[in-house]
Amino acid sequence: MSPASPFLTGPIVAAAEGAAGGPTLDLPWNALIPLILGLPIFGFLFTAAVGRRLGKQAHWVPVLAVFAAWVIAMLAAYGALTHAEPFGESGLVVELYTWIPAGGFQVEVNFLVDSLTACLLIVVTTIGLLVHVYSVGYMGHDPGYWRFFAYLNLFMVSMLLLVLADNWLVVFVAWELVGLSSYLLIGFWYRKNSAALASKKAFIVNRVGDVGFALGIMAIFVNTGTLNIRESIGLMTADGAQNAIPLVVVALLVFAGAMGKSAQFPLHVWLPDAMEGPTPVSALIHAATMVNAGVYLVARANLLFAHSVEAMVVVASIGIFTAILAASIAMTQTDIKRVLAYSTLSQLGYMFAALGVGAFTAAIFHLMTHGFFKGLLFLGSGSVIHAVHEEQDMRRMGGLRRKIPITYVTMLIGSIAIAGIPPLAGFFSKDEILGEAFKLGFAWVWLIGIVVAIMTAFYMFRLIGLTFWGEFRGPREIWDRIHESPRVMTIPLILLAIPSALIGLALGLPLGDSVIHHWLAPVFDEGVHVIEEARNVHPGPYELFGIDGFLIGASVAVAVAGILAAWRLFGAELPGIRIGPRHGAVRAISARVPFLYRASLNKWWFDDLNHLLFIVIGGRLAAAMFWFDRVVVDGTVNGIGSLTVSAGRGLRQVQTGRVQNYALGIAVGLIVMAGSYLILAGR
Amino acid sequence: MRALVPILVALAIMGAVTGVAVLMLVLLGQDWADVLLWLFAAVMIGSALLVVTMRDIIRCGLAMIVCFGALAGIYVILGAPLLAATQVIVYIGAISVLILFAIMLTQTKDAPRVLVFQTQSAGAAVAAIIIAVIIALAVTATDWPEVVGGTWLDTATLSEVLFNEYVLAFEVVGVLLLAAVVGGVFLAKREPGGPS
Amino acid sequence: MSQSLDAYLILSGILFAIGTFGFLARRNAISMLMSIELMLNAVNLAIIAFAAFGAFGGSPAEISRGSVIALMVISVAAAEATVGLAIIIAIYRNRRTPLVDEYDAMRQ
Repeated sequence: MSPASPFLTGPIVAAAEGAAGGPTLDLPWNALIPLILGLPIFGFLFTAAVGRRLGKQAHWVPVLAVFAAWVIAMLAAYGALTHAEPFGESGLVVELYTWIPAGGFQVEVNFLVDSLTACLLIVVTTIGLLVHVYSVGYMGHDPGYWRFFAYLNLFMVSMLLLVLADNWLVVFVAWELVGLSSYLLIGFWYRKNSAALASKKAFIVNRVGDVGFALGIMAIFVNTGTLNIRESIGLMTADGAQNAIPLVVVALLVFAGAMGKSAQFPLHVWLPDAMEGPTPVSALIHAATMVNAGVYLVARANLLFAHSVEAMVVVASIGIFTAILAASIAMTQTDIKRVLAYSTLSQLGYMFAALGVGAFTAAIFHLMTHGFFKGLLFLGSGSVIHAVHEEQDMRRMGGLRRKIPITYVTMLIGSIAIAGIPPLAGFFSKDEILGEAFKLGFAWVWLIGIVVAIMTAFYMFRLIGLTFWGEFRGPREIWDRIHESPRVMTIPLILLAIPSALIGLALGLPLGDSVIHHWLAPVFDEGVHVIEEARNVHPGPYELFGIDGFLIGASVAVAVAGILAAWRLFGAELPGIRIGPRHGAVRAISARVPFLYRASLNKWWFDDLNHLLFIVIGGRLAAAMFWFDRVVVDGTVNGIGSLTVSAGRGLRQVQTGRVQNYALGIAVGLIVMAGSYLILAGR
Repeated sequence: MRALVPILVALAIMGAVTGVAVLMLVLLGQDWADVLLWLFAAVMIGSALLVVTMRDIIRCGLAMIVCFGALAGIYVILGAPLLAATQVIVYIGAISVLILFAIMLTQTKDAPRVLVFQTQSAGAAVAAIIIAVIIALAVTATDWPEVVGGTWLDTATLSEVLFNEYVLAFEVVGVLLLAAVVGGVFLAKREPGGPS
Repeated sequence: MSQSLDAYLILSGILFAIGTFGFLARRNAISMLMSIELMLNAVNLAIIAFAAFGAFGGSPAEISRGSVIALMVISVAAAEATVGLAIIIAIYRNRRTPLVDEYDAMRQ
């Protein structure tokens, strides 16, 4: 078999031995990979241009474009993850064109498809496709229907470019595009003041992180002279490399960008407000794709981080701190989407904690599972909101399980998954994170992670309890009109529930030597090796009945404890279990820890702090600067002008127009000259 | 009566000066040249002061004529008779008359009542005094070569020099006078049909 | 006294100073012109004095140089007085006043 069969016959999926000795997936990748981007671009342009006229039919082109992209992406992911030719161990590089050929500064737009890219492709395209389909139903009555799909396709383009890019500058371009798309989508209902403010907040806070990222890219260029991701990281981390800017600084700058996009403390304030956007937007952007960009970035640069121990510690600390901060806030929120938003923040914290301790594979595993069950939970909440006619406050829900059964069952699956109960997906990925943290010597991360796990289970089942169980607490008229969502919305829910349940089993087994480890080994092995050497920690083989078994048991135990606590306070109505809610007990407990309760309710006052720092103090500072500019700087400049004018006005007095005055001047001059000559000559 | 005050003062001064001169001649035994110089100098300075300070401008013109006359006398003492004659003929006979005509043509009715001096006259006086002082200092500080003066210049020598060495200057001055005449006529001419 | 150059020069200086004062201080234009004539005469006196005392040399031909210069000066003074008075008369026709401090059309 020839190694390269360009642009010829149809899909030739050959799992048999190829000329290189491994499985071969010989498709015209040079055309297909760019198509992954090209199809949504076409969808965006088409819908933006003629979408308004298509009305209710505007969704066909975007949805089909994303579907086609999904097909290609899955094929590519299959090839990359099985290390088939031409992907191989290190991935396939598709060269597109040289964007900036400027002598010593070359930037080429290439696409790299390796195992890491493949994992991200799976998550992004699958959830993207399902969100597109879901939106057909959810946004059906919205006058901006065509606009929504155009923006969704634009977002897909940005995110796919981000994960496919092979060059830091292209990643940065895609980074900014993702920020732009999320701004457009969060502020989709732009006439609503809160939505417009939220989208601005998201963009600005992102921008703060982007400054760090841009500086990081510049630092990389200063250190290595190239912006190709692999080349630059290889050059910077080679033995004996002389880096003008220390690796720690570069790593922290790159992490600053990740902090902005993935909403880590202190740049987390934009994510809860971003719930102002439509629910499919929240599902796509803020659960499954955009916020994962930061995790992807750090994972892509894992070798860089591995060589800077201090940066890793910073990443882990910020990650786990965000996790517990967000979980504590989620426990008291009353808006169903806010709970999920803070839950996302918390899970992202987990992922960064995993990256920080060196468990890169665990972080990516959790990224994938989280994408599925969080996407499911968001879409499910959208279905709930749709059912109770745009009510988002959980205090006015309740008892919905009988009325919207499909939504109920799928959300229950999602909650169990996120709580970490085996054999659902969340258990495998979360346990791997906590286990690796403990075994690599970060016991404090493990401990805090365990506490967060309890809180996670608690607030998720609080959500289920308030929404689906017990009695309906809203107006009577709404109760009569509640109905299940149309099939175009429930089918994506079902389709997401399946991987939420099963993907853990598929990727996480066998324990200790899982499939996903094999997939991502070529990407992370070197980094893990460097870390182990640096910390002198060599984890032994997996002991199911030793330390690992204990860790698994601990994870499951705390998850169950959290669920039971939630059942006790908020009730449960499962087959075989029937507990009534105790609202009095809830109030009593909140009354006993008033400070914590109020702190949680007010999001630990971070928004107020930001307001004080930047709007009040910053505003005064800006006013002072304005005063200075107006009075001193402009005053000086104008002063010079007016000085000239007044000097002229003064000197004008000399011009009397009278000859005798001028003649006196001449006489005085004559006297001065003659006199001084006389004096000087006399000396 | 008040207009006569300066003239009376001048006369008084000149009387005093003459008296001093006579004294110099008779008592002190100075020779005629010195006495005459003293007299002529006094007249000249006095009348010059009158020229610049008198209110009535016609009287100023007349004082100027006296000044020129005294100056002509000094030229004679210096031994330049032709120049003295020229001074009298041209300055007194032509220029002063011209000035008096012009005064007549530009007289205004309120002339005697109008302020004579400008506002800068104080500064002007100071400047003038300083100029005089500077000149005096410069003159007295310099060592002039000691040559006996008093050679009587005769006209033949002067005309020989004038028309041999300085003939070009002489001709140019002629052209200049022609230009001045033409210019003067043109400037002072009335516009045809214009306001008088 | 008539044998010393200093006296004549000081005399010339005083006359020049008086002429300067008159030029700077009088309001009537014709008075200014008369003061100019005084100044010119002072200069003439100085030149003749220098020549008489041998500044140009000792011989009569050389002494007569001073007279020649003075003659030129007198001629030029005549020409200048002519034109100056013509100008003053022309301005008088326009402005109806011979007073120089009212000729301030060039004032800023």
